[in-house]
Amino acid sequence: MTFLLRRLAFYLAAFIAAATVNFFLPRLMPGDPIQIMFASAGSELSLENLNALKLTFGFIDAPLGEQYLRYLQSVFTGDLGRSIKYFPLPVTELLGRALVWTLGLVGIATLFSFCLGTFLGVMAAWRRGTIFDSIVSLTAIFSSSVPAVVVSLIMLFLFGYQLGWFPNGYAADPLLDPGFNWTYISSVLHHGTLPMLTMVIVLTGGFAVTMRNNMINLLGEDYIVMGRAKGLADNRVMLWYAARNALLPTVSSLAIALGTVLGGSLVTEVVFNYPGLGNTLYQAIIARDYPVIQGQLLIMTAAMLIANFAVDLSYVLLDPRLKKA
Amino acid sequence: MTIFRQLLSNKKAMVGITILLIVVLVAIFAPFLTEYSPVKRVGRPHQAPSWEHWLGTTRLGHDVFARLVYGARVSLAVGFGAGLAITLIGTVLGIIAGYKGGVVDEVINFFTNMVLVVPNLPLLLVLAAFIGQASPLVIAVILGLTSWAWGVRVTRSETLSIRQRDYVKSAEMLGEPSWRIMAFEIFPNLISIVGINFIGSVIFAVITEATLEFLGLGDPNTVSWGIMLYNAQNASALSVGAWWDLLAPCFALAVLGLGLALINFAIDEIANPRLRTGGMLNRWTRMVRIGEGKL
Amino acid sequence: MTDPVLSIRNLNIDYIGAEKDFHAVKDVSFDIAPGEFFGLAGESGCGKSTIAFAVSRLHRPPALIRKGSQILVGGRDVLALTDDELRRFRWREVAMVFQSAMNSLNPVLTIETQFYDVLKAHSRISRAEARTRAAELLKLVDISPDRLSSYPHQCSGGMRQRIVIAICLALNPKLLIMDEPTTALDVVVQREILQRIDVLRKELGFSVLFITHDLGLMVQVSDRIGIMLEGELVEVNDAQTIYRTPQHAYTKRLWASMPKLHGEQIREGAQS
Repeated sequence: MTFLLRRLAFYLAAFIAAATVNFFLPRLMPGDPIQIMFASAGSELSLENLNALKLTFGFIDAPLGEQYLRYLQSVFTGDLGRSIKYFPLPVTELLGRALVWTLGLVGIATLFSFCLGTFLGVMAAWRRGTIFDSIVSLTAIFSSSVPAVVVSLIMLFLFGYQLGWFPNGYAADPLLDPGFNWTYISSVLHHGTLPMLTMVIVLTGGFAVTMRNNMINLLGEDYIVMGRAKGLADNRVMLWYAARNALLPTVSSLAIALGTVLGGSLVTEVVFNYPGLGNTLYQAIIARDYPVIQGQLLIMTAAMLIANFAVDLSYVLLDPRLKKA
Repeated sequence: MTIFRQLLSNKKAMVGITILLIVVLVAIFAPFLTEYSPVKRVGRPHQAPSWEHWLGTTRLGHDVFARLVYGARVSLAVGFGAGLAITLIGTVLGIIAGYKGGVVDEVINFFTNMVLVVPNLPLLLVLAAFIGQASPLVIAVILGLTSWAWGVRVTRSETLSIRQRDYVKSAEMLGEPSWRIMAFEIFPNLISIVGINFIGSVIFAVITEATLEFLGLGDPNTVSWGIMLYNAQNASALSVGAWWDLLAPCFALAVLGLGLALINFAIDEIANPRLRTGGMLNRWTRMVRIGEGKL
Repeated sequence: MTDPVLSIRNLNIDYIGAEKDFHAVKDVSFDIAPGEFFGLAGESGCGKSTIAFAVSRLHRPPALIRKGSQILVGGRDVLALTDDELRRFRWREVAMVFQSAMNSLNPVLTIETQFYDVLKAHSRISRAEARTRAAELLKLVDISPDRLSSYPHQCSGGMRQRIVIAICLALNPKLLIMDEPTTALDVVVQREILQRIDVLRKELGFSVLFITHDLGLMVQVSDRIGIMLEGELVEVNDAQTIYRTPQHAYTKRLWASMPKLHGEQIREGAQS
């Protein structure tokens, strides 16, 4: 329990650190921070609205410390300001809508690639040195070294434009009304296939290499040799003696990999014009809509921290040595 | 020295080094490989690949091949420059944290873990967005400053185990200053970790530079693979059928990434003999097949 | 004389390298009689553990047992067993205690599951029956049945090693191989465990193949001893002869390199 509490405290500190970057960055830039932040607003915002925005971001007539606290207060009360491009839409609402699509895409893709990659890694390590191992290793090296942007562009070119099997953009047919019916759901699935496939190609290799190496490192351990000496079936030793233990370091490296996962999803969404966080962010970058750009850092950080906490939880469940500690 | 000799006898490493060498040579001799300037209009917009323009032209009538070979310079410079910075910071902090221990370690470790849980690309996007149109140099600098955490973690944990070895203990007994111990007793034993960290960081920097530029945060006047992707995407290259405009930089990035990854995998195999498969297993399999013995 | 439990003839084992092979075991032959406590001594890297692994055929590539080698357990040719026969042969005929006491038990399974694993793999047995049997076995090594629901990290090193021994006895094997079983343990625990093995051996009648580099310890517990040097078995004799009148020059050197032990005897009659 104390382990998890310590982690929670640490995550809170990390979140504040991200907010601190957001606070100081405009102030560290040469020039007037207010000018930088709200330049793209031009004269479209009324003075009243502009002042409200300044207040949210801590641009108040007070010492820096007080400005900082003011900004943290906004962040922790869930007020991330309003989008300048889509004024007066609040940033939380804009990003919240996008988050649903990203979570669906990233969540399913990560889970699937983790399972597939781990499975391939286990089999490759167990059959080390065979042709199967060579094929898995080389494919994995290749898939994990090619940038997500390259994979998504090639997928879009091949399956979107050349073969025309899948649509080139959007999360669903824009002419359909969103609803819980088969027409809409099948459209979502059809539109999601290519981005999902891209993510799986980008992620699976890394998981496979990690699991393979962790497992090979364990194969010489006495408890695995003893498992074989006990006359257990091959599968029992492979899964419950070797893989089960190799899973522990793999799961903890999953936490670090999540950053790459999020990064990959940003790019994939932009290429496939998928209405998730990545694409919303891309639009915001083009429009230099700073409240949205800053808001996405906080939301992504929060998502990452929650995912990390989930990894911590599963680690506690997987490793009996942590349960009673 | 032995590690380099081992690299040369590793098949994966040789393929990787060859790929890298070709890219480096292309970058150095770019002016000799093409008659065109990468920044001048030399043809009609979006011409398909032909004898005059091997990889076609962009929407602005630039020669794609010329931009590709000159662009290699930027990708390599950013990759190796930022990779070096990331590795330097990561190695120094990792050794200090692992060797000094105590409060120093706790402070470094805390910051390392914090940087690890704040997602990297979104953070870079915010930084780059405030900087405006980031030149390759600026991208390399911010990559160097924000991406060292993984290196600290692995270097630190390896240092922790080396610190316990006898030769470190005896150097301490002899009263050697701690910087000497860190530089001459510990660092030489971290060479393979540092190597993996370095190549991994180069891959990361190449990919991330291209990604930032693709997302519109780079300086559009740069000649680099990321900007080529950005321009091609903006010109809707795929929907107008100018696939060469987009696929050329894609292919270049994939090949460079693969070459570097092969080198990294090979260093890993050399550093950790258990991961090695190579010649002995082939020989073993052959001997079992001809009945020379069994398990 | 009765048939030997273990009979090794002309055993040759190589570790295959990319260009050159390492000849780890060179033409080794010896027998172990029923109920006998046989010691195999030598410096680390002399091939003694390689022999131990070969008896249950636990080797992995690039190790290779060369043709012409013969390993008989209870008269059965181990090297001729099919995969399935081998699986059934392991642990039922030959059980094994491994080098590292701390590391022989799977850290993520309870002690009970690790008993159940082996019982289920070799017989039709229910979870409840397995639990009763495991409790009985633990009693043999003086461990409370409460420990069944513990994980290995909750037990001390000595306790873990006794648990491994209890698991070894689960199927009444003919031969117990102990590969440097006590190196990670302190001297007191080490003696206690060897005494326990000796008592159990007399009660249950299995033979022991005991492997260690500690010749002093070995002489105190073994009936007969083999001395290995660089893959060759240079001398096999009864323990007393090895102790008092070593024949081979290497055995003499081994004794000379060792501080003389004056510890109390572990078993009666080992040296008189």
